[in-house]
Amino acid sequence: METLIVIDQAPYGSFAGREALDMAFSLAAFDQPASLLFTGAGVHWLRKGQAPDSIHQKSVEKNLSAAPIFGIEQLLVDSASCERFGLTVDDLPDGITLIDGNADMIGRYQNVLFAG
Amino acid sequence: MSNTTEHSFSLVITGAPYSSQAPQTALAFAEAVIAAGHRIDRVFLYGDGVHLASALIAPPSDEMNLPKLWSEFLAEHNIPAVACIASALRRGLVNEQEQKRYELSASNLLPAFEIAGLGEWVESTIKSTKTLYFHAGD
Repeated sequence: METLIVIDQAPYGSFAGREALDMAFSLAAFDQPASLLFTGAGVHWLRKGQAPDSIHQKSVEKNLSAAPIFGIEQLLVDSASCERFGLTVDDLPDGITLIDGNADMIGRYQNVLFAG
Repeated sequence: MSNTTEHSFSLVITGAPYSSQAPQTALAFAEAVIAAGHRIDRVFLYGDGVHLASALIAPPSDEMNLPKLWSEFLAEHNIPAVACIASALRRGLVNEQEQKRYELSASNLLPAFEIAGLGEWVESTIKSTKTLYFHAGD
């Protein structure tokens, strides 16, 4: 029973995304399969070279790089959203899978939750 | 209402009372769940949703008191409700134990709620046949 956690908001503007990431890590810690989908403005999570020190926040880039260690199944990103926000394959960190994040794809998961 | 399949629900509330409609919508849903003969395993407050468990919310007397209404509902149906500890501590919602641990000046957790970790939510997603999320929606 795999859970898909959808992040559709840019980082740093609210805690919702970070708290959704904590949910993903928590599922993985209890051996429950979880994957993350970045879509819409959520693709900004995947930009390299984030420097949130100046606003006294922790880098989500660093948080995300721990995902494989925590046992997150897949990091997925919606290709149309990447195009919309000007991210190319070269801009993406390693281990990210480009997919068409449509309703059919999301519907294949038994549990789906969006970052509040 | 005919009811051939009994469901057990976990409800996750991430929107705060008065800032969002989430706690009220969740309560209306929860009442409908019970009325239809289903069960609620657990209510989990996450993110801004933890404010629902505050004992210090005092709306005008002619307005809905959401923390009170939720507390009464939880007690009446004997439903456990948990506020996520990480969310709660960030937002100033503490029980006596956390008050002592962090040497804070007060505690403010309503008795119908307890403070615990995300493990409780993970358990809910496994145990319940359905887990529903009530967000602020903005």
